[in-house]
Amino acid sequence: MTADVQAMTSWWGGFDFQGEQSKEWNIGPLKFIVQRLKNEWQIAHEYKDNFDANNITWSVKDTDQPSASLSDNSRFIFQDASGELSITPKLADRPIISRPLTPFNLTAGEEVTLYVSSSIWIELAINSAAKTVLKEIAIQRLSDTWFGPSTLEGELCYASTTHCRLSLDELPHFTHRAITPVLICNKADTTLSLERLNLPAPLLSLYAASNGQLWTPQITLIRQKDGDMAELKIENTLPDDVQPVIQLSEPRNRVDSSVLFRAFNTVFS
Amino acid sequence: MNEFWADLVNFINSEQAWNITRAVILIAIGFVAAKLISSALLKTVGDKMDNHRAMLLKRGSYYLILILFLVSALHQLGFNLSVLLGAAGVFTVAVGFASQTSASNLISGLFLMAERSFSIGDVIRIGTTTGEVLGIDLLSVKLRTFDNLFVRIPNETLIKSEVTTLTRFPIRRLDILLGVAYKEDLKKVRAVLGEVANKNPLCLEEPKPLYIFQAFGESSLDIQYSVWAKREKFLELKNSIHEEIKNAFDEQDIEIPFPHRTIYTGSATAPFPIQSVSHTQPD
Repeated sequence: MTADVQAMTSWWGGFDFQGEQSKEWNIGPLKFIVQRLKNEWQIAHEYKDNFDANNITWSVKDTDQPSASLSDNSRFIFQDASGELSITPKLADRPIISRPLTPFNLTAGEEVTLYVSSSIWIELAINSAAKTVLKEIAIQRLSDTWFGPSTLEGELCYASTTHCRLSLDELPHFTHRAITPVLICNKADTTLSLERLNLPAPLLSLYAASNGQLWTPQITLIRQKDGDMAELKIENTLPDDVQPVIQLSEPRNRVDSSVLFRAFNTVFS
Repeated sequence: MNEFWADLVNFINSEQAWNITRAVILIAIGFVAAKLISSALLKTVGDKMDNHRAMLLKRGSYYLILILFLVSALHQLGFNLSVLLGAAGVFTVAVGFASQTSASNLISGLFLMAERSFSIGDVIRIGTTTGEVLGIDLLSVKLRTFDNLFVRIPNETLIKSEVTTLTRFPIRRLDILLGVAYKEDLKKVRAVLGEVANKNPLCLEEPKPLYIFQAFGESSLDIQYSVWAKREKFLELKNSIHEEIKNAFDEQDIEIPFPHRTIYTGSATAPFPIQSVSHTQPD
């Protein structure tokens, strides 16, 4: 990780603990405390009830608050609890169904690039001789949802709402959300009414720009001429304006091809 | 005594003794071979199968190999197999009559295995018994109930009765039945329920929660509110959402009424006498 990115975005990366030190992170709705003791690491977290979605601040500080005071506390025992704590942002482990706050229509032959933001997870690991992953925590508890043509067929996903902004300039700077550019092409003869969009988060890698904003590669969704099939393409590129970038995490699931053909109703709804 | 030993030596030296020894050895080899081959088969291809199929493969191959060795052993003993099969037919009829229940269970077991309406590890409900399937055998299905009891259900019962597999599909619907007082605004009730479902992360956003007005009940307006959950989170949602609905109703002053009884004496009778009781304490 380059020094300038680390300086701008210091809620992730490597953290050294001196003696039996405790640190507290506040990122969006999530508060978590990491405490190092002689032979153990303790990680506790809780979510703020009345969280303002527009509150995009984060903080990292030393704390005296015991980790056991938070609702969800875990202990990890080591013979020697030395080493550096590493915090890595990751994308969701299931696809995210983004619902535009206002559904929109894409007429026949049109194409548009939307910027869809999605909540991220953090991976807490100890870097000593080898990397030991301790825990993954979602920054925001997302609601479950079902995505598919019927209750027999489909998959479990996370639900999220999105503004589906059309311009990069309108995007607020979210430190705890990753932005995915989504290019939608409607090659069919009928209007595409977009009420829900399936964002394949486990197939995407995560990048950080120099201003701390998290990005995923662009995905392209093409509604085919017959209207029943959709082509999903995962590009290797980010928008030109967001350079320079570093890769933070690999995709959770690898696919052999970057172009996938799926039934239309498994991508859009 | 000497005669006995002489007979024994003669018998041991005879061909019949040699045939019996060979038959016994064949059966012993059959047992070992059946066990080894079925286990090896399971290890080779069992990874690609679910528990149910793996069990069928193991048992099928075990019994097939064992029967082959048994038939060879019988042949070795000098039995004529065609005569034996004919006798087996007659014997089967006799046994069939004698053990109708067992035979019926056996046939039902074969149908159950072929039908695959549930497999090992599934949670099923038969009548009032709900439990995890531990094994599907030729005569019965073994269940472990949630209070950790071992229940054996004959296959015939399963074939004849309604069996619900609770773990077949990944999502389940929870039907919440509730009643609100007649004075309440139903639009507000519906909105409050929608908000509770929206805030609970275990409640699926899609399929959407279902609101059904059931009836003008005796004491309340009866409503069914159905929400969907991931199968594994069903119980967690059931516990959390009832509590959240109660809290939301309390906050919004929505009354969940107790049963009401209005006592009416009829137009022909005189009104009830009412006695006023003073709450002032005596001096």
